[in-house]
Amino acid sequence: MSEQTFYRQAGSYLDSVDVVEVQRGPEPGGVGGAYRAFGETLRGLKTTMSRLIEGPLTIEYPEEKTPVYPRFRGRHKLHRFEDTGLEKCVGCSLCAAACPADCIRVVAAENIPGERVSSGERYAAVYEINLSRCIFCGYCEIACPFDAITMGHDYEMADYDRTNLIFTKEMLLAEPIERTPLKSEDE
Amino acid sequence: MSEKREVTLTIDGREVTAVEGEMLHDAARKGDVEIPVFCYEPKLGAPVGACRMCLVEIEGIPKLQTSCSTPVRDGMVVHTRTDQVKKAQNAVVEFLLVNHPLDCPVCDKGGECPLQDITTGWGPGKSRVIDEKRHFEKPIELSPLVAIDRERCILCYRCVRFSQEVSEDAQLQLLERGDRTYVGTFDERPYVSPFHGNITDLCPVGALTNYTYRFRARPWDIEQAGSVCTLCPSQCNVSFTVRDEKVKRVIVRDNPGVDDGWICDRGRYGFEMFDAAERVTEPRLKGGSKTDYETAIARAAAGLGARDGKVAAIVGDASNEEGFLIQEIVRGALHSPHLDSRPAAGPRIDTILGLEQPEVQAKVTDIDEADVIFVLGTDPMQSSPILDLRIRKAIRRNGARLVVATERPTALDGGAEAIARYAPGQAAHFVGELTKAVGGTENVATPLAESLRDAGKIVVVWGERLGAAAAAKLLHFADALGTKSAGTDVDGPKTQDSLEISAHQHVGLLEVPDTANARGLREAGVLPDAGPGLAALAINGHGTEAIREALIDGSLDGLILVGVDPLRDFADTARWEEALNAASFVVAFSTFATATAGKADVLFPLETHAEKDGTVTHPDGRLQRVRPAAGRPGDIRPGWQTLANLSLALGHDTGVTSQPTAFKALTDAVPFYASITDAAIGGRGIRWQETESASSFPALAASAPSSAPDAGAASADTQRDSASGEAAPVAGALALGTYRDLWAGPITELNPPLKFLKPSQRLEVSPEDAARLDLDSGDTVRVTQGAKSLEATVAIRERVPAGVCFLAEGVAGANANGLLNGHQVSVQIEKLSEVPA
Repeated sequence: MSEQTFYRQAGSYLDSVDVVEVQRGPEPGGVGGAYRAFGETLRGLKTTMSRLIEGPLTIEYPEEKTPVYPRFRGRHKLHRFEDTGLEKCVGCSLCAAACPADCIRVVAAENIPGERVSSGERYAAVYEINLSRCIFCGYCEIACPFDAITMGHDYEMADYDRTNLIFTKEMLLAEPIERTPLKSEDE
Repeated sequence: MSEKREVTLTIDGREVTAVEGEMLHDAARKGDVEIPVFCYEPKLGAPVGACRMCLVEIEGIPKLQTSCSTPVRDGMVVHTRTDQVKKAQNAVVEFLLVNHPLDCPVCDKGGECPLQDITTGWGPGKSRVIDEKRHFEKPIELSPLVAIDRERCILCYRCVRFSQEVSEDAQLQLLERGDRTYVGTFDERPYVSPFHGNITDLCPVGALTNYTYRFRARPWDIEQAGSVCTLCPSQCNVSFTVRDEKVKRVIVRDNPGVDDGWICDRGRYGFEMFDAAERVTEPRLKGGSKTDYETAIARAAAGLGARDGKVAAIVGDASNEEGFLIQEIVRGALHSPHLDSRPAAGPRIDTILGLEQPEVQAKVTDIDEADVIFVLGTDPMQSSPILDLRIRKAIRRNGARLVVATERPTALDGGAEAIARYAPGQAAHFVGELTKAVGGTENVATPLAESLRDAGKIVVVWGERLGAAAAAKLLHFADALGTKSAGTDVDGPKTQDSLEISAHQHVGLLEVPDTANARGLREAGVLPDAGPGLAALAINGHGTEAIREALIDGSLDGLILVGVDPLRDFADTARWEEALNAASFVVAFSTFATATAGKADVLFPLETHAEKDGTVTHPDGRLQRVRPAAGRPGDIRPGWQTLANLSLALGHDTGVTSQPTAFKALTDAVPFYASITDAAIGGRGIRWQETESASSFPALAASAPSSAPDAGAASADTQRDSASGEAAPVAGALALGTYRDLWAGPITELNPPLKFLKPSQRLEVSPEDAARLDLDSGDTVRVTQGAKSLEATVAIRERVPAGVCFLAEGVAGANANGLLNGHQVSVQIEKLSEVPA
């Protein structure tokens, strides 16, 4: 659309811009009509037949699964330091602040020397994500100053009971059952 | 006071009108120009310019100036956003962050931190520092309630200034110099002060944090709910931090007319008791069996109704509405005139009327402007702590002079110009002598009178503990003072009886009552000799002590107790025990399961000030609203609802169906509350003396107390006022004075973080008596009065007069109330064990 269209005054119009010629097809009926009905159908069937030989492409979910991309945002994971085994999460609640769905609840507590849970002074005594509310936007991952929470690849979280969808800290820290194949680099 | 001149200046191109002498930072705020600050806080007094964050460019001055400490001048042109200023602000932030650990995710201040805000708003956004930051051990206990993290400290001086100039305990100091500077106390001793929690509000970074709020919540997890603290008569404005329906923190809600922006540690840390195991969370029947409200109200109504006309009520901690409903129940439904809201026999209604006349009533802010402050018969530190800070401020900043006259040495003695000590029980005599001395007679009170005479504006801060007789004489004293300092400015004949004269001479009286809402309850009609609005009654009932005696002799049968614990807080515990046992039916309203609550046939739970909805009246007449902030635990219903239903069950319809109708009923019944609405109370409260209905305050009767000087003393048979002339102490005996300790009571027993403050009984004696009785500080002694005794630890105090000793009331296990018997008593002291060497 020309710039003119945008800036012209209301009520006025230009023939060159506003009048569009309608392209109409041929009238139905007659020999031409019969050819168009059968010929075009056969042309379409040609594609169908040729694909038929290729065999089925359906992915038999859940027996078969589509691989996801590495940056796919699935079920959250909480992490521990590999060397010390301490939780990376310090319970700062920034993920809860960032969460647009308000589905994260953090209650922090102070580390007791000797029973250290995280590396900082504080740790998350309660860390819950209500996955029935989560919109998998990944803001929690972005907000986390310690890379303690990341989005995993698991998307199979359906349940018959809503209460089971509130994931606790223990569930999020546990190594998730990797049910989802990951796409390889070049895929 | 002369009006300050207005000046006009330009800040960032905006014309701003400010008052002469005002600081540039405050003037800029009026013009909606924000200048970042860390160290500036007007509450702390003179600015120090320590943080350098508020630098601005002023035309005509080549270098940047600190806007917090530069007073405005007419025609000043100020720029806050030039390149030069920006460069300076960036540099200051960068410097502050050189050593700041940036551990915001673990820091409690994260999300409500001025350093975070200013860094994002005015900082460079990048750090060029690659060096190691300074390290301190962290976190350290500055006190058992406050944690200090010295790495986070930006050395703004605020906490140090608070300690030096506001609470005047001078314990916090900046130690070492340069980048090793840190805030601490001498020799790493814990910071002990009843106000020290305020430094956590002042700290602009996370260096000072509360242990009680440590890692409890983030600003986005919580709600703030403004209310009023009713743990003492100061009625400071507070804001409750609530998470998951529970109070997690109490912070100040500045109200210059009440608290000046500070709260004491009692109000700040005394919130965990709201969920204590001792909390009564549902109605109970005798023996502690839990029940529901319907059953409890039916039982209470049946029990009280059967004793129609023979029921008395004593009210302590209650809102105005609750007080009003109680007097409706007692007077309207039970046809009994016997109710009181005072722990001891108080002054008669004509004395109360005289002392509450709007003309002689001082408001809290009058202390700021007073020339002389006269503290009489109270220690604000123990009874109304925030007044103590107010008086200190008046002395330090406004040059007020302080005169103290008390039984026991007070926390304010150090700043006093003249001090008088009278013997316990001699308050009335002393006030009488003082009145004569002000009139020109030479006597013991003359040195004090010298300081009070021709003093200009005087505020008398007097304690309800003075007693009835002294309160009656107080009117004459104020009167004499007013007349005396009148000099020649008063035209016309001076009459000794005219209170207007004293008003003209700026003598203001401010009471420090014994209970938090004493004034509100009095005005709501919870008095034996006055109804709502302090209106005179046809039949006068018994006061607190007379009720006790009537219960024992059987002329009264039933008792309603609302928010009182006579077995702990009232004098003569044994006699109260006897009275409670003698009463055949007791209905108690109590927050906690106390010994008194255990005596109740029907026990109703009470709400705390975080849950209650109602109004309270400050001792200076300010009506304030207590608003519900947290959820009520268990099955607790609002106090007004329980009382209204109980009244209904007794066949008396009060018409109260909600808190607004309860408030309406109160304002309808009290003429001088008539024009006060909920909207007028708002967040800051309103003094009824300043509303149009103030003129409805009952005028002094023709037989004003002035004409009968000892009118009030007639009924005074309390321990404090008995001028019955106890014989000079027998050998070894000391006259006993008692005081209410700030920390004695459920506050330190039910709040785990405050347990370390729980007082043990101390016997305060003078050095002379200690030498005579061979006592040393720390010795354990047995203090005996008649057949009653308790154990205490000796504390020798230089400022205690010889022949007198002091014990605290309400101390668990060794309560001085147990030794009192309604008269002035003296005690024998017997040494049990020496202090271990």
